[in-house]
Amino acid sequence: MSFWGFLASVVPVELAQGLGVTGRFFFKRKATIQYPEVKLLPKERFRGMFGFSEERCIVCHSCAKACPIDIIHIADHFEEVEVEGKKRKKKVLDRYDIDVKRCMFCGLCEEACPTKPVAIWLTTRSYETAAYERNEHLYFNKERLQSWDGVRAYPGVVTPAKGQMPNDPTGGSGEPER
Amino acid sequence: MANPWVLFLLVPLVKIVVILGVVILLAAYLSFFERKILAYMQIRIGPNRVGPRGWLQPIADALKLFVKEDILPSRAEKFVYMLGPVLVTAPALVVFSVIPFGTGFKLFGAEVTPYLTDVNIGILFILGVSSVGVYGIILGGWASNNKFSLMGGLRSAAQLVSYEVPMGLSVVTVLLMASSLSLVKIVEAQRNSGVWFVFPGFIAFFIYFVCGVAETNRNPFDLPEAESELVAGFHTEYSGMKFAFYFLAEYANMVVISSIATVLFLGGWLPPFPNWLAGVWAAPVFTWIPTVIWNAGWFLVKMFAFLFVYIWFRGTFPRYRFDQLMALGWKVFIPVSLVNLMAVAFGVLLIGGSR
Amino acid sequence: MGDIEAVKPFPDSEEMEISFGPQHPATHGVLRVMVKLDGERIVDAKPIIGYLHRGTEKIFERETYNGAIPHTDRMDYTAAATNNQGLVGAVERMMGITVPPRASYIRMILAELQRIASHIIWLGTHALDIGAQSPFFYTFEEREKILDLYEEYCGARLTLNAMRVGGQPYDLPEGWAARCKTFVDQFPARIAEWERLLTTNRIWKLRTVGVGVISAESAIEWGLTGPPLRGSGVNWDIRKVFPYDHYDEVEFEIPIGAHGDTYDRYLVRMEEMRQSVRIVQQCLARLPEGPVMAKVPKVIKPPKGEIYFSVEGPKGELGYYVVSDGGANPYRLHVRPSCFINLQALPEMVRGQLVADLIAVIGTLDIVLGEIDR
Repeated sequence: MSFWGFLASVVPVELAQGLGVTGRFFFKRKATIQYPEVKLLPKERFRGMFGFSEERCIVCHSCAKACPIDIIHIADHFEEVEVEGKKRKKKVLDRYDIDVKRCMFCGLCEEACPTKPVAIWLTTRSYETAAYERNEHLYFNKERLQSWDGVRAYPGVVTPAKGQMPNDPTGGSGEPER
Repeated sequence: MANPWVLFLLVPLVKIVVILGVVILLAAYLSFFERKILAYMQIRIGPNRVGPRGWLQPIADALKLFVKEDILPSRAEKFVYMLGPVLVTAPALVVFSVIPFGTGFKLFGAEVTPYLTDVNIGILFILGVSSVGVYGIILGGWASNNKFSLMGGLRSAAQLVSYEVPMGLSVVTVLLMASSLSLVKIVEAQRNSGVWFVFPGFIAFFIYFVCGVAETNRNPFDLPEAESELVAGFHTEYSGMKFAFYFLAEYANMVVISSIATVLFLGGWLPPFPNWLAGVWAAPVFTWIPTVIWNAGWFLVKMFAFLFVYIWFRGTFPRYRFDQLMALGWKVFIPVSLVNLMAVAFGVLLIGGSR
Repeated sequence: MGDIEAVKPFPDSEEMEISFGPQHPATHGVLRVMVKLDGERIVDAKPIIGYLHRGTEKIFERETYNGAIPHTDRMDYTAAATNNQGLVGAVERMMGITVPPRASYIRMILAELQRIASHIIWLGTHALDIGAQSPFFYTFEEREKILDLYEEYCGARLTLNAMRVGGQPYDLPEGWAARCKTFVDQFPARIAEWERLLTTNRIWKLRTVGVGVISAESAIEWGLTGPPLRGSGVNWDIRKVFPYDHYDEVEFEIPIGAHGDTYDRYLVRMEEMRQSVRIVQQCLARLPEGPVMAKVPKVIKPPKGEIYFSVEGPKGELGYYVVSDGGANPYRLHVRPSCFINLQALPEMVRGQLVADLIAVIGTLDIVLGEIDR
C-alpha cells in the first residue's frame, strides 16, 4: 500500500465528505409543503373525484362497461318524446350511481364516454375525498355527483353561473373558469 | 445564616433541584433539537405544530408518554422489567453531581459553586457510575421476554463493555496531563497551562468522542436499538413512562458524554482566546453579565457543539454491523489508545505536565 | 440441510427461531422471514409470502384486456409503467398491431422514468435499512419530480394506467418534453450527490462488500433476473436480447458487476439510472410526430392462441403469459414476477451471515410484495 493509500485508509476523508453533503442540505430550501395551510393544485389531467353532467349523458352504458370493477350502476327507461312532430323513444336516466369507495381512479370510464365534452369525468382536480364513513359518504348518486362541494366543470366547459343568461359564453364571471 | 446546618443541607438541596431540572429539560429539548436538526438536514421542517414553531413539542411528548398505557408483557419478569428503566436513568442523572459548570461565585455573602460537589476522584466516579447504566439495558432487554429485546440487550452489553476500555484509556491521557482526577482541577490545569488538552491530546480526544458515540448507542453505533434489524432493540416492549425513562437516559447520557468531553478536552467553562475576549468582555455593554452566566454560557456552547456533531453523525452515516463494531473497538481503538497513552506519558515525562 | 453444520461455530449451541415480519420495519411491506439463528449468525432463512395476495391473475380473467391494465399497476406499485408495458405489449403482439412510433417512444420514456423512480425507492429504503437516514429523503425529493411528470401526462402519480392496447391514450401535454428534459439533465448531478454520501463511505462498504454473495452460475440456476443477475456478472437484459418498442434504436449500455455482492448490485443500479437518463434524452431528441393510437377494434379480441412476452422491469424480467380463447377476456393471464423469483435466492444469499446482513440482502433484492403475492 502506498503512503497516500494508507493515509486515506486512516483519515476518514470520505466520511467528512458525507458530512459535507448533509451539512450543505442543512441550509437548503426545505421541500415540505404544510398541507392544510398550503395546498398543491393538481395538474390539468389529474384523476380526482368524479364530475357528472346529466344533460350530456346519452345513457349508452359505455362507462359502466368500461369500468374494470363494475362500480358504475346505471338504470334507465324509455320515454316517448315528440321531436319535430315525430314521436320518438328516448332513453331517460333513472339512476347513475358510483360506488366511489371502491373506485381505483383509472379513468377508463372517462375515456369510454362518447359525448363531447364527456358526461363523466375525473379531471375535477379534487383529491380531498376522505370520509369518516364509507358506505353512505362515498356512495355518489347522480345528484351528488353533480353537486358535491367543489365540483368542477370538465376542462374547457363553462358552467352557467346563477342568474346567467343562457347564451352568455363567459359563464357570467367575465372569463372562462380556470 | 448563622446555623451551619442550613448551609450544609439547604444549599445542596437547591443545587440538586436546579441541576436535575436543567438536565431533564436539557435532555427533553435535546430530542427536540435532534428532530429539528435532522429534519433540516433531510430537507424537511420538523416538528412545528405544538406551540410557537414547535417549541412545546418535548412537553407534549412527555405529557403523552405520561398518560399512555403502561403495558406489561404477560410473560415478562415483572420486577426486573420495572427495574430496567430505573437502573438506566439514575446513573445518567447522578453523574451530573460532579460536572463543573463554572467557577465559584459569591451569592448573599456565601461562596457558592455552580456544581454540586467537587470529588477528588471525580472522573473515576463518573466512569464507575455510568457503567451501572448498562445493567438497566441488559436487564430490561432480558426481562421483556422478547427475542429482539434480548438480542438488543446482549449487543449493548458487549458494545458498552468493549468501548469503555479505549474510552478509559483516552481519559487517562488527560489525567496524566492534568495530574488530577478532580474535574475542577482538570479545568484549572488547562487554564494554568494556557492550552486546552484537545491540542496535545487530539488522538485521545478523537477516540474519546467516537467511543462516546458508541457508549450512548448513537448512530453509527446504534446497534442495540437498530430499528431496521431489531425493531427497537432492548426497549421494544417498553411503553409509556418506562419508555420515557429509557429515552431520557439516552439523551441525558449524550449530555453527560458531551459535558465530560468539554471538561476534559475543551477547557470546560474557560472562554477561548481569554486575553482577547477579556478585553471584549470588559466593555461596558457586558459588565452586567455575572461571571457564572459567562462561564456556564461557554460551557453550554461547547457542549452543544458536541451534541450537534452527534446529530450530524446520525443524519449522515450508515450503521456498523455487530462484528465490525467489535473489530473496530478491539482491533483499532484499544491498540491506538494504548500507544497514544504511552506517547503522552513520555511527552509528560519530557516536557512536564501541569503541577 | 447439510451445510448448516458447516457454519455452526459451536455444535452444542442452541438455535433460536425468530420471525422477521410480517410487521417488521425492514421487510418492505409484509414479507415474513423465519430465521434460524445461532447467536447472531443465520443458520437458515425461509421467506414466507402471501400476506398481500389479492388474486390478481384470477381477476384478470374477468376483465377486458384494457380493463386489466389498472390491475397491473397494483402488482409492482413502484413500477406501474413497466407493468403496463408488458401487458399491452403481449396483447399487441397477439393481435399483430403495430404501435405508432410516437406512442412507442412515449412508452419508452415512461418506462425509463419508471426505472429511475423504482431505483430511487430502492436506494432510499436500502440506505435506510443499513442505517443511513438522509438519502431516503434526498431520493424521494427527486422521485416527486418524476411523479409530477407522470401526473401531468396521465393524471395519476403511482397507479398510472398510462398505456392501452394499440398505443397511448393521450399525447404528451404541451411543454412536457421540455420539462422532462430539464429533469433528466439535472438528475445525474443528484446521483453524484448521493454517491458522495455512500459509494466511498467506509461504513457503507463494510456493510455491503462481500455481503449476500451469489455466483453467476447460482444466479442463473435460481432464475434471477435484473440487477441481482447483472450484479453477478451476467450480461442479460431483455432490452438488449429481445428488444421491444424502439430499444434497438437507442444507445445504452448494460452495467454488470463482478462479485455478485450487495455493493456490486448497488453500483449496477446506480449506473442503470444514468443509462436510463441517457435513453430518455435520446427518446426526447428523436420523438417523432404523428398519432399515438393505432387502429384497434373497440372490443379487443385477440385471436385464439397464447403468447409469452416479457419486458425488462426495474426489478428484473417481467413476463406476461396470455392465453386467449378468442373472447374479450383472457382465458388465462399469468405473470412472471421478477421479485418473486429473485426472492427465492434469499436463503442461499444469507446463510452463514449475520442478522444485519439479512436486512441488507432483503434491501438489495429490491422486492415489492405487491408483485410477489399478486
